[in-house]
Amino acid sequence: MKIDFKLNGKPTSIDVDPAMPLLWVVRDELKLTATKFGCGMAMCGACTLHIDGEAIRSCSVPVESIAGKNIITLEGLSESEANLHPIQQAWMEEQVPQCGYCQSGFMMAAAKLIKENPNPTDDDIKNGITNICRCGTHPRIIKAIKRAAEINNQNH
Amino acid sequence: MSKEKKSFSRRKFLQRGVIVLGGSVVASYLGCSPMRRFTAQKVESMDLPASISSLKPDFWFEILADNTILLKSPKIEMGQGVWTGLAMMAAEELEVSLDKIKVEHANTGSGLIDNVNTGGSSSTSSLYGPVREVAATMREMLKAAAAKQWNVSISAVKTENGTLSSGGKKATYGEIVASTKEWDEPKTPTLKPKSAFKIIGKEVKRVDLKPKVMGTAKYTLDSELPDMLYAVLVKSPYLDATIKSVDSNEATKSAGVVKIVREGNLLAVVAKSFYAADSAAKKVVVEWNTPNKTQQADLIKLVTVGNGKEANIQKEGSAKSILKDNKTEVFRQEYRTPMATHAQMEVNGAIAHVEANKVLIITGSQGPSQVRDVVAKAIDIKKDTIDVHTPLLGGGFGRKAAPGLAAEAAIISKIVGKPIKVYNSRQHEFQNGVYRPNTHHVLQAKMTKDSKIEAITHDQATPDMYVRNMVGEIGLKLLGSDFLSAGHGASLMYNVPNKSVSVWNTDVPIPISIWRAVGMFPNTFAIESFINELAHKAGKDAIDFRLDMLTDKDDKIIERSRKVLETLIEKSGWETPKADGVGRGIAIGNDRKSIAAAAIEVEIIEGKIKVKKVTNVLDMGQIINPEGIKAQIEGCVMMGISATLYEELTVKDGQIEQAYFSQYPLASLSDVPEILSFLLEGDDVPYGVGEPPLSPIAPAIVGAVLNLTGKALRSLPLRLS
Repeated sequence: MKIDFKLNGKPTSIDVDPAMPLLWVVRDELKLTATKFGCGMAMCGACTLHIDGEAIRSCSVPVESIAGKNIITLEGLSESEANLHPIQQAWMEEQVPQCGYCQSGFMMAAAKLIKENPNPTDDDIKNGITNICRCGTHPRIIKAIKRAAEINNQNH
Repeated sequence: MSKEKKSFSRRKFLQRGVIVLGGSVVASYLGCSPMRRFTAQKVESMDLPASISSLKPDFWFEILADNTILLKSPKIEMGQGVWTGLAMMAAEELEVSLDKIKVEHANTGSGLIDNVNTGGSSSTSSLYGPVREVAATMREMLKAAAAKQWNVSISAVKTENGTLSSGGKKATYGEIVASTKEWDEPKTPTLKPKSAFKIIGKEVKRVDLKPKVMGTAKYTLDSELPDMLYAVLVKSPYLDATIKSVDSNEATKSAGVVKIVREGNLLAVVAKSFYAADSAAKKVVVEWNTPNKTQQADLIKLVTVGNGKEANIQKEGSAKSILKDNKTEVFRQEYRTPMATHAQMEVNGAIAHVEANKVLIITGSQGPSQVRDVVAKAIDIKKDTIDVHTPLLGGGFGRKAAPGLAAEAAIISKIVGKPIKVYNSRQHEFQNGVYRPNTHHVLQAKMTKDSKIEAITHDQATPDMYVRNMVGEIGLKLLGSDFLSAGHGASLMYNVPNKSVSVWNTDVPIPISIWRAVGMFPNTFAIESFINELAHKAGKDAIDFRLDMLTDKDDKIIERSRKVLETLIEKSGWETPKADGVGRGIAIGNDRKSIAAAAIEVEIIEGKIKVKKVTNVLDMGQIINPEGIKAQIEGCVMMGISATLYEELTVKDGQIEQAYFSQYPLASLSDVPEILSFLLEGDDVPYGVGEPPLSPIAPAIVGAVLNLTGKALRSLPLRLS
């Protein structure tokens, strides 16, 4: 089945099994690999991307449901390397990643969080994001989200 | 300067356009002979510096004509920051800025990689001398070459920021490399003294930061080969299961399926995409033989002090007879830690392309040379035909020290005749993995009238995590017990006149492996919890009680441990009044000469233990990358909280009962306490940082709960009722 949608701003068309999870469409068919496979059951958040502005765990979204929608992956979060999204700027400043594998999902969830809540408290962040990280970058994630909110507010 | 003349072949050298200089770390592991150094002289092919593999380098540098320096790392980057540490050490001696050094994994086809696994928090300490020495040698070679070209003395040539200069003459390293015909290699270059360090010990950004923030960092699952097919393995959730029968009729008809492969108990669906293979795999009907019937109670019973082979690993004075003669005065407690899994975020996976006389493997492994051995055996091919490439690892923690799926990928690729990518489902990771084994500890002590420990014993039972997997290491096996891994940290660091420690080694019907901090984790939990209980019983302050037993002024470890505890008192506010409802606990460990201690504050909120504040003091000797060390401490705190409060694997009817993250909760953002970290440089060489800060977390939490409630919890994960 042919499905049309926007991917990181570009009109995209794909002809696959409509039940195929969006994660595999993005990774294996469209070769954008920032979005990771962690559990396949929407439990870990490694595959988080944006669908029409919502942070969604793409391993559990059949591709047919995104027809006509706007998908943003980490590759499309920033305008350019010179003009990074506040989340990525803050992630650099705070040196968040260790192994780095879960970070795309965290950054996508965090970008959504600061959009909705421009001044998140520690508790807002702790309750707002349930992604899993095994390296224990959590303390830096909290710092970076608060820093990103600051950058975001300065920009506006 | 004494020199050893070595002539590079001009033709071949110019073809290469690089200097290649490397070294072996084997000597430094053994700690005897000086590092072997070599120069590449026989470069016949342009593609990879494979021809120098006959000289067995474990790491090497290449200065490229664009003036960047390639550092081929023998140690695997799995998040711990080893690339950054090695690059800093190299940049220091090469007199270049950190961004001039590009780090890649050395791989088994383009030069031998370190035969020792990446683990044990040993990477930086083992390479601190060799990497700096080779880097300094290269710097001196460049200086000598420039001096010759400019007709000045070597001492008149200065190096700064990747540039050589003398008077008005100036050239980049790359320019000198491109124009030099003959190289002189100095024998032993002088290394910079600590006072001259410009990079080591300073704040830097980790070298793999940007790709990891931009999403361009490549892991195994992101790698591809042309014409590659995907395989999904069909596995039983039961341990040691074998195939009784297979019905793959429906699966064969599924869209995109190329082949169903069955080789012994290896069953795989091969298809054009992962999705197609995965969808078809769900249609395969298998009947399994499930010979392993292990129950949780069996495991507990097997792993119990008194069962298995006893090996005494520490004996001073006559602890056992003192305890025997004073039975009524003996304080005795038992502790248990559960089976656990690594739960690294990136599942195990591999890509294999098997051709007639050539095998390419791409897999994230903590031991690429072992991957090569396993693949050679699996498809019966010579080791030297196998090239193992290691992308970045999405977490290791010991899980990727065990063979991943390279052998499976190679077997399937050989049958299908195409490159194959295969990876585990999360369920496979949980149920078909290798596990941290459960442990049992019995601690006994007799106190003097003035509340000092007169005699203490620690008996620890566990299956070994390491030795049983070492093929051919008969000597170690004959020792009868595994004090290298499970037993590590079982001995007692305190200056007590009578002490005795035994490890009871037993075998369990579960595949087991090392897990971050290895034996230090369960042993420190048991020993330091017991010490906290003794202090509590004696009505003494938990830190004072320890300082009273750290008395040997001639022992550097003891002196450093004192300093760590004294710093902890000051930095954690140990002596300041506590708020209502707060408990404080501490613990300390000596993990291969890194001394780590933590003071932890807890509260009990709605019947649950909540860690509020963790103050860490770590003396890891020479600091290389301070920010990297702090990141490792934070990671250890989070993993420590996770293992202390939540993590437990259990077995039922020969099946690991937890198959998903929902059944094996991990610490999350909501568990983040206030974390303070302080670093001490109690020695002038670096020790490990990736594991040592983990071990004190569990016993310090337990100590804090004891302080708050008077209740001693002795089994992980902690349960209040």
